[in-house]
Amino acid sequence: MIRAINFAMLIVVLAPVVVVIWMSLTPTSMFVLPLTQFSLRWYREALSYPGFVDAFVLSAELAFLAAAITLVLCFLAVYGIVRYRPRGAAALRGFFTAPILVSAVVFGIAMLQFVNRIGIYNQFVGLLLAHVVLVVPFAIRSLEATVRAVPEELEWASMILGRSRLSTLLRVTLPLCARGLVTGFLFCFLLSFSEVTTTIFMTGPSLQTLPVRIYTYMSDRIDPTVAAVSALVVLVSIVVLVLLNLLGGLRRLTSQ
Amino acid sequence: MRDSAARAPWLFAAPLLLVMAAGFVWPLLQALINSFHPNTPQGIDAGQWTLGNYARLFDSFYGGVLVRTLRISIMVTAISALLAYPVALFLARLPPRAQSLVILAYVSPWLVNTVVKALGWTLLLRTNGVVNTVLRGLDVIASPLKLMLNEAGVVIALIPGHFIFVLLPLWAAVSGLDPALTWAAGTLGARPSAIFWRVVLPLTLPAFVAGLVINFIMNMTAFAIPMFLGGQRNLVASMLAYQVNLISLDWPLGGALAVMLLALTLILVWAGQRAASFLTAGRGLRP
Repeated sequence: MIRAINFAMLIVVLAPVVVVIWMSLTPTSMFVLPLTQFSLRWYREALSYPGFVDAFVLSAELAFLAAAITLVLCFLAVYGIVRYRPRGAAALRGFFTAPILVSAVVFGIAMLQFVNRIGIYNQFVGLLLAHVVLVVPFAIRSLEATVRAVPEELEWASMILGRSRLSTLLRVTLPLCARGLVTGFLFCFLLSFSEVTTTIFMTGPSLQTLPVRIYTYMSDRIDPTVAAVSALVVLVSIVVLVLLNLLGGLRRLTSQ
Repeated sequence: MRDSAARAPWLFAAPLLLVMAAGFVWPLLQALINSFHPNTPQGIDAGQWTLGNYARLFDSFYGGVLVRTLRISIMVTAISALLAYPVALFLARLPPRAQSLVILAYVSPWLVNTVVKALGWTLLLRTNGVVNTVLRGLDVIASPLKLMLNEAGVVIALIPGHFIFVLLPLWAAVSGLDPALTWAAGTLGARPSAIFWRVVLPLTLPAFVAGLVINFIMNMTAFAIPMFLGGQRNLVASMLAYQVNLISLDWPLGGALAVMLLALTLILVWAGQRAASFLTAGRGLRP
């Protein structure tokens, strides 16, 4: 009985993703079941549709920059919190992880009204700011474990031997955190790359990320082309997930 | 020296603090302030203050949308609650390698964007979709079932989408239990059901409650799934927020909606934490 519940649940969890990939391989323009022949023609179709290609480039740039900026900002902040243990440490940590408590819809509304108020509606920088804020909580949590794992004695040794605090940070601490930084980067990249709701609320017509473009396309019609481009998005997620798993980052992220 | 040591952590945190102030605190304050101004055809009237936007949220139309959102969210959380223990207990008994593999399977849909999942569920549940085709092929049903563009479709698609938020904390709590506890209960003659109700459940209840709260919040604010699986006839709060903010451009009302959703979230999180600490303290147990 329990085995059956588990089996059924796992199928239901994976079904929507599997069915998208499956349908993207249909040779005809209709989804006819059962599917006996497979074709990659809809992938060619999707890749020759400029709307999807532009959106993919925008999404990749956005996710890359958001992850990189977040990692630098959060590494510095976490280093300050972990090494100096200031009196407000708990409050700082709470503030930095607070975006988790604000749902994507609420944050999207706030961002929309904010970017319009300060006059950066439909500009990349507004989108970048939003994505940085959205991934900060996850970066803080993952980097905190990383920095804590670096023995403080190594930094003392470096400073006793004459290196400054900053030089020690760059030459000793940073290399020791490399693995955690890479997994943190990949995780932030993935979160930003698959973010939909906040982006839909705040973005302008000329700045549609790939998930938003898929959303607008789907509101119009559902055809194998949109299944193919969705399957490509899933592929990107799977590649990043596998990399994360190889680096051992997933175990740490799921254990938190 | 003392002085610079006291200032140093704040210097390290300063860049992130600035970004968070500009990109997180300011936008939320902006929406809060807008929600207290009246909306006019010329835009927001910043000279006037009103509570009218909040009052409008409780009229019959907006109130009805809120009730539907609550109804769907409660259904999803209740069904997830029933499924959580069987799945978590089963998982915790698997060998470690299998465990991490199954957890990966449960986590992976969370990292795929919800629009793709909405597409998948549409392909599965629509009239000529996979589920109806298979059921008709097997002669289980004569005519296709209406599985989407109703509340049922939203519930069906949201359960697996947000199940991970209940499962992960519960699985961590269950696998963190000292095996000696259940073993001891067993040697003292407790049947498996008694071990569950009197040992496992009380010890893992805080994690369970915490997971349910997150699950409920995610259900309340889901956007893409209700949009495609429920359709315009089954408006929920997030779709309403989209219409108000991006189609009627009534930002004061939209801001009020955001503030109310946020307040609801924070109250629930607070209540969840209180419940969890009450549950642990009341029994003299530590998780």
